[in-house]
Amino acid sequence: MIGVMSYLVFFATTASILAIAVLGLNLQWGNTGLFNGGVVAFFGAGAYGTLILGGTSQEGHLGGFGVIYPLALLGGMAAAGLMAWIVGLLTLRLRHDYLAIATFGVAVAFENLMRNAEWLAGGAKGVRGFERPLRAALGDGFLYNILFFLVVLAILIATYLFLERLVASPFGRLLRAIREDEEAAQSLGKSPAKVRLTAFVTGSVILGLAGGLYGTFYAFVSPQDVLPTLTFQIWAMLIVGGAGNNRGAIFGAFLIWGAWTASGWALSRFAPIEAQLYTGSVQFVLIGSVIVGMLMWRPEGLLPERLVVSQRGSTPSNKQGE
Amino acid sequence: MSITKYLWVAIGLAVSATALPGTAEAQDCTTKIGAVLPTSVDWGRPIAETAQFAVDQVNAAGGAAGCQIEMVLRDTQVDPKVGVDAAKALVDLEGVKLLLGAVSSGVSMPILTSVTVPGDVVQMSCCSSSTAFTKLSEDGKTNGLWFRTFATTGVQSAVAAKVAADKGYKTVAVMYKNDDWGQDMARLIAADFAAVGVEVTASVAVNDGQPSYRAEVTEALASQPESLYLALYPAEGTAAVREWISLGGTQNMILANSLKSDEFRDNVGLQYLGATLGTDTASPRSESADAFRAAYVERFESEPNGPGLANSYDATMIALLAMEAAGKDASGSDIAAAIAKVTDPNGTPVSADTAGFSAAKDVLSGGGTVMYQGGTGNVRFDKNGDVSAPAVVWAFSEGGIEEVEYMSLNDVDAFITSLK
Repeated sequence: MIGVMSYLVFFATTASILAIAVLGLNLQWGNTGLFNGGVVAFFGAGAYGTLILGGTSQEGHLGGFGVIYPLALLGGMAAAGLMAWIVGLLTLRLRHDYLAIATFGVAVAFENLMRNAEWLAGGAKGVRGFERPLRAALGDGFLYNILFFLVVLAILIATYLFLERLVASPFGRLLRAIREDEEAAQSLGKSPAKVRLTAFVTGSVILGLAGGLYGTFYAFVSPQDVLPTLTFQIWAMLIVGGAGNNRGAIFGAFLIWGAWTASGWALSRFAPIEAQLYTGSVQFVLIGSVIVGMLMWRPEGLLPERLVVSQRGSTPSNKQGE
Repeated sequence: MSITKYLWVAIGLAVSATALPGTAEAQDCTTKIGAVLPTSVDWGRPIAETAQFAVDQVNAAGGAAGCQIEMVLRDTQVDPKVGVDAAKALVDLEGVKLLLGAVSSGVSMPILTSVTVPGDVVQMSCCSSSTAFTKLSEDGKTNGLWFRTFATTGVQSAVAAKVAADKGYKTVAVMYKNDDWGQDMARLIAADFAAVGVEVTASVAVNDGQPSYRAEVTEALASQPESLYLALYPAEGTAAVREWISLGGTQNMILANSLKSDEFRDNVGLQYLGATLGTDTASPRSESADAFRAAYVERFESEPNGPGLANSYDATMIALLAMEAAGKDASGSDIAAAIAKVTDPNGTPVSADTAGFSAAKDVLSGGGTVMYQGGTGNVRFDKNGDVSAPAVVWAFSEGGIEEVEYMSLNDVDAFITSLK
C-alpha cells in the first residue's frame, strides 16, 4: 500500500509540474492566441537556469554558483523570461502558423545549443550534481517526495489563482480582445504589440517555473529533456483539457499524463508475453488515437472556455454576454 | 466524451485486476525484476529480447533465490519523463529490487538520481556510456547501486588508436554521433590518437535523422585525411558512409562497435569495406562465450551482432546471479554487494547459460564465489560500477563479421596505461 501511495505521490508531482507548464501555455494560446511552438525552450531555460545557478561546481562547464534554492528557481524563471522577451521582440509580429514555426525553430536551436555547447551546460551529458533543497535534512525517501509534492501543489494553486485573477481583470479582457480582433483593440487605443509581448513573457516565465521544478525533481537535466516531444505533450494536454480554461489546462495535464503512464503500465501488465516487446509502439498508437478522437469529437476540450463578463452591469446587452 | 469514458473504464479494469494475482499463487513463488528499455525504438527491441532470453535461461535452471523470475518490461520511449515514471512504477507498484536499464544515459541518469538511489534498488544498465556516471559515483552519489556492462568508451577509443598506429595512418578525420556517447568518444579518441602520433584533421558531429549528411561529409573530406574514424549508429552511419565514398573519401575506415552490424555492411556494400576495421570489446577465449553465441543463434536464428546485445545479456545474468548470491528477500544494497561475489576473478568460472547458472548456484550455496564469463568477457566491475574488457579488432567479410586481432584484458589494460 505504501508502494501505491509512493507512486501516486510521484505521479502527481510530475503531473502537477506539467500542469503548471500547461497553465503557462494557456495564458499564451488560450487567452492571447499566441501559437507558441517552442514551449520546450522556455521550459528548458527554467530547468537549466535553476540547475546551473543552484548546483554544485562541475568541471568543464558553467555552474557551481550554489545559490540558495528559491533564488535559483527565480533565476531559472528569469532566464526563461529573458529569452521570451528577446524571442518575443523578434517574432511576435508574426501571426499564427508563422509564429509557431519561428518559435519551434527557437526550441530546436535551444536544444542544439545545449547539446553542443559543452562549456555552457555539459553538452549531451547534461547538468548533474544538483543537491535537492533540504535533502540533507529530510533524506530522500517517501517523506521528501510528499513534502516536495506539497510544495509543487502549492505553487500550482498559486499559479492558478494568479492566472484566474489575471484573466478576470481588465488586462485579461484586453488579452481576449486582442485574441479575437487585434485591429478592433487597436482602434480603441490599446497597444497590441506591447500586450502580446507581456503575455508571452508572463506565460514563458510560468513555463520556466515548471521547468525549474522539473529539473529540481530529477536533480538532472540533459538535452534529452528538451526534445520537441515535450512541446507536443504540453499542447496535447491543453487541447484535451480545454484551451482558454485554466481548470481545463490542469485537468488536461493530469488526464493526458495519466493516460500516458497508465497505458504503459497496463500494457506491461496485461499484454500477452509475446506482445510485450511491442507495447511501446502500441502505446504510441493509443495516445495518438485519444488525441485524434478529441480533436474530431470535442475540439473545444473537455472543459471548454467559459466566456465571462468581468464587469457586471445592469444593461440587458451586458447580460447577454453571460 | 465517450473516449474519456472508455479511458476510465480501462483504468478501472486495470486497477481491479491488480488485486487478483496475489490469490492465485500458493506453491511456487515469483520474484519480479524490472526492465526499462526503449522497446518502441528499432534497436531497443532486440536488447529487451536478449534480456528476456537470459531470464528464460535462469528460470530453466530453477530461477534465482528460490523463485522464478518475471521480468516486467516497460518502454522508455527514449523520453526521460516516461522512463523515470516507468521505473518508479516498477519500484513502487511491482516492488522490484533490481532494475535493468535504461539505454540512453539521459534516461538512466534521472532514474538513478530520483528513483533507484532513493529507493535502494540496484540499477544495471547494458548500454549507458556517459562518463557522467563515473563522476557521479566518484562523488559518492550512487550508493554503490549503479552498474553497467558497457565497457567504458576508453577501451574502444584506445584500441582504435592502436589500429590507426598499426596501420601507419598519419591523419584521421572523426565523425561522431552527436549525443553523450559520441561526444565522449570524440574527446577520448582525439586524446588517444594524439598519444600514438596520429593527427586528427577534423572532428565532425553528426545529428540523427537527417535526410543527407553531405555538409558533414564535405567538412571531414576537406581536411584530406588518410583515414576516417566513425562513432555512429547504423542508420546515420550508412547514410554518411555512402556519401563519403561517393564523394571519393578514403576506404581506410575505423569503426566503433555500434557499426558492427550486418545491416550496415549490406547497405553500404561489402566491396567498399575491404580496408575497414572495427573495434569492439570482446568475448573471452572461453567455452562460455561460445556457449552464449550458440545459444543465441539457436534462439534467435541470427548472430548476436546488434549493438548492446551481449551487454544486455550479461547485465541480466550478473544481476540475477547476484540476486541468487544475496538470497531470498534481499534488499537492493544486498544484491549490489553480492555482485562482487559473482564476478570474483579468483572464483570458480561459470559459463553464460542454464548449466552455468545451475553450477553457480551450487558454488554459491556452498559459500564460494564465482567468476561469471559472459558474452562481453570476464566482466569485472571497478568501484564505480564500470567495466573494462578484452578487445577485438574485426572486419567485414562475406559471411558476416570476422575477427582480425584479439587483445586480452591484460593487453588492453597495458596498452591503455602506455597511452597515459
